[in-house]
Amino acid sequence: MTTSDVRADVARADAEAVQAHTTDIVAWDVPSAIVAGERFRITVGIKCSSECTLAGGGYGVYDHAGALLASGTLAAAVWPGTTGLYAAEVELTAPAEEGLYRWTAKATDMDLGRPHAETSGSFGVRVVSRPEHLVTIEAVDGATQTPLAGARVVMHPYRAVTDQRGVAEIRVAKGTYRLFVSQTRYITHGVPLEVTADVSTRVELAIEPIPERN
Amino acid sequence: MAKRRDSDQKNRKPHGKAVGRRDFVKSGAAAGVGAAAVFSSSGTALAQVSPSDAIRWDYEADVVVIGAGCTGLPAAIRARDLGASVIVVDQNFDVGGKMLHSGGQVSFGGGDPLQLRDIKGERDPEGFVTAPRLHAVEELTEDPDFLFRDHTDWSVMDAAAQAPYRYNERDLHRAYADNCYATREFLMTNYVRFGRISGTHGNGGMSRARRAVTFLMEGPATDIKKGTISRQDAGIKGVSSSHFAPRYMEDGAKVASPGARVNGAALSRGLEFSAREKGIQFILNRHMDEVIREQQFSGRVVGIRASYSPRLDPQTGRRLESLWQNGNIDERRETIYVRARKAIVIGSGGHGANPQFRSMFYPAWREPAFVSSGWALLGPRGQDASGIIAGMRVGANLAGMHQNLSYGSTFHFPGTLATRDPYTDMLPGHPTFPFRGSTGILLTPDQFQHLIVVNQVGRRFFNEMLVTVREGGAAYPAGPSKGQPRSGMQHVQGDWRNASVDNVRKTYAEPNAIHAALAINEGSRAPDYLSGPIWAIFDRASVERDKWNINPPFTSPTNGFFFSADTIEELAAKIQKGHEFQRVPLNDLVETVKKWNAYVDQGNDPEFGRGSDAPMYRIEKPPFYAAALYPVWHDSYGGLRINGRAQVIDMQGEPIPGLYAGGEASGGGNQHGLGRALVHGYIAGTNAVREPGGTQ
Repeated sequence: MTTSDVRADVARADAEAVQAHTTDIVAWDVPSAIVAGERFRITVGIKCSSECTLAGGGYGVYDHAGALLASGTLAAAVWPGTTGLYAAEVELTAPAEEGLYRWTAKATDMDLGRPHAETSGSFGVRVVSRPEHLVTIEAVDGATQTPLAGARVVMHPYRAVTDQRGVAEIRVAKGTYRLFVSQTRYITHGVPLEVTADVSTRVELAIEPIPERN
Repeated sequence: MAKRRDSDQKNRKPHGKAVGRRDFVKSGAAAGVGAAAVFSSSGTALAQVSPSDAIRWDYEADVVVIGAGCTGLPAAIRARDLGASVIVVDQNFDVGGKMLHSGGQVSFGGGDPLQLRDIKGERDPEGFVTAPRLHAVEELTEDPDFLFRDHTDWSVMDAAAQAPYRYNERDLHRAYADNCYATREFLMTNYVRFGRISGTHGNGGMSRARRAVTFLMEGPATDIKKGTISRQDAGIKGVSSSHFAPRYMEDGAKVASPGARVNGAALSRGLEFSAREKGIQFILNRHMDEVIREQQFSGRVVGIRASYSPRLDPQTGRRLESLWQNGNIDERRETIYVRARKAIVIGSGGHGANPQFRSMFYPAWREPAFVSSGWALLGPRGQDASGIIAGMRVGANLAGMHQNLSYGSTFHFPGTLATRDPYTDMLPGHPTFPFRGSTGILLTPDQFQHLIVVNQVGRRFFNEMLVTVREGGAAYPAGPSKGQPRSGMQHVQGDWRNASVDNVRKTYAEPNAIHAALAINEGSRAPDYLSGPIWAIFDRASVERDKWNINPPFTSPTNGFFFSADTIEELAAKIQKGHEFQRVPLNDLVETVKKWNAYVDQGNDPEFGRGSDAPMYRIEKPPFYAAALYPVWHDSYGGLRINGRAQVIDMQGEPIPGLYAGGEASGGGNQHGLGRALVHGYIAGTNAVREPGGTQ
């Protein structure tokens, strides 16, 4: 390459230089407890601060050591309720050992007519060993004794929702937990629960009084 | 549309003479007082304008009442019943004050007619109250001496370690106890209907049940004489309020009968109907700026100076009009003078909307963003302490100035998001809805598990489950959960064990979250320390999980109290750009959400202890939301000192001749709610007519 070629290249690059847009990346619907070695899904979304269309933009998901686990392109339509967030569902595989990992999602290949700055965001991945025991929870309205469907059951890190019969089944590892059962309009019920074998428990929820405005 | 009852009220003269055009002091030198006397920009004189004989009065009446609320209306009606001519002046466009949007719950006692009715198991004369008695006979049985001892009990302490009866003025509460019977009866003969007694108000006494709610019966049309209210006027749940009732009137079947609709509109409109029927005149849209005395610190009070204070609809620009007009004097001149031949009764409400006044109690409340309850209904000149200040300017003493701290709802977080007016839940349909723009999203304390709460720089500051929890208020049946060793009929008046150190230690439960929220933080710079707005941050998953309605009218896309964004970064930027009181950027918000999500993953919150009381949820699913979580100043304790005759007392301990006050404009009492003010009004009206002067 001659000197004048180089000069011409530089001049062209200068003329074409534009400010890269900033982007933000969000990861959601990450399951709260993933069994070691099993497949799971998350959703990744990227937003350009200038509301550029990012359909077809690239993303990558990297593990705690920086290894690339999955990559793909963003969907054509914006995520519902947003004005410029483009998303993609990502299939991943949990590591073989239990633990709380921090993985990263990155925007890659985002030169969609306009350069976009690299961005990354991390999210927690809680991996658990194969759970040994089945916990069955029945949630009822304490006053009427009727089953509560759609009640949220949490035994950190495990979560479930009761079915039409008011029943939820969670597989958990042996251990001592705080069992929470909560439902809209009711006071959250929390009790210690020790799990050494399969166990069933019945929880009664009380209506939460609306604070007086008198 | 406002109902018109008297179409030619413009031609009616006020009682007594209409004394011609107002004319201010002719010349400053002649009057002996600087005529260039001194008006602050709010129109309130800093010195008495002139001796009374130099004023040309525009109107006069025997009794001039300031404020058409739960002190002013009974005072006006009582004075009128005793033969006085009465003019009521109110800064707002409509009658009712805070009473109009209250819950309508009134505590009296001492063996009042309602307690007696329930003891006998009787119905009301109209036959609306068919529900059975809700308390045992013994819980309703007492006399005025017993009530007086309850209201002056040094020993009672509540779960916030406050002693709400210890500092009550004795004279005031002796008169209160002796007048509860007459006031309850008085209200019932002025179109007010009460349901069965149920419990007692906070700080309304530990030993008996004394509280009843006011109602109207749902019917084909609103008819105060018949005691009915149309479904439209009573409000449609989740849909609309009405001009008649700014808040939805709840179902009162349990305390009256099926079809009963309860809240303060039943009390307020009933009294207002009676007042207008009896010929009381109202000058609305008129803010009292000065009480005028013969000399600034001596002699009788002789009248008031008041300025025009209309409210204009922000969308149409038209002046808001009262629901009823019979008896209205539609006076639009900038300044008028109203002469009081016998007495002035100050029932102008409290000080919760005056940041300078209320910061006497709590400097952090100098924050102008935070308002008093009923901000939309009453406008910025409601609860502005003007009545108290007017009394101070002619030498009045104050009383009860620390009693603001001995009730839990004086200032608190009601738990309603996305509105500046979080105490009440007004829906579209009331003329003032355009001022607030959103009803708000009401959440219970348990529902706060689905969000995080941050301060003006975007940092969390407390366990969110405790932010709207407040203790305080010792009232029947009370007991250990409220801070007392014994509950219900087991309570012993004046017993030292009520205040034992052991008991206080065991029962103290005040989380103090409001104080963390108000605390000055690093977002402020000297000398302007302002607490700034508080924000509830949540995501789409919270809304879906707990089924919240975040659409209009509960939120507004334009009033700056609710935002939706694709990312947390964007949310912080929208708040800063779109909220009137966001003076600093929420620079810590992104980090706060990241940290929160990490706490959720690890199962505990090392900063504020979440996770032991309810599940924790990540804030991760777009769109993201920010809803303002505003505190409110609701109760107002502390004001003009009054005696048992409702006379305003000066610094020498002497009544200011002709000057009366009651309700939140007065001080020395700590009972929450309407009962206190209604009795004050009754007493003030009774004594005002006994003053010399007037047409009698």
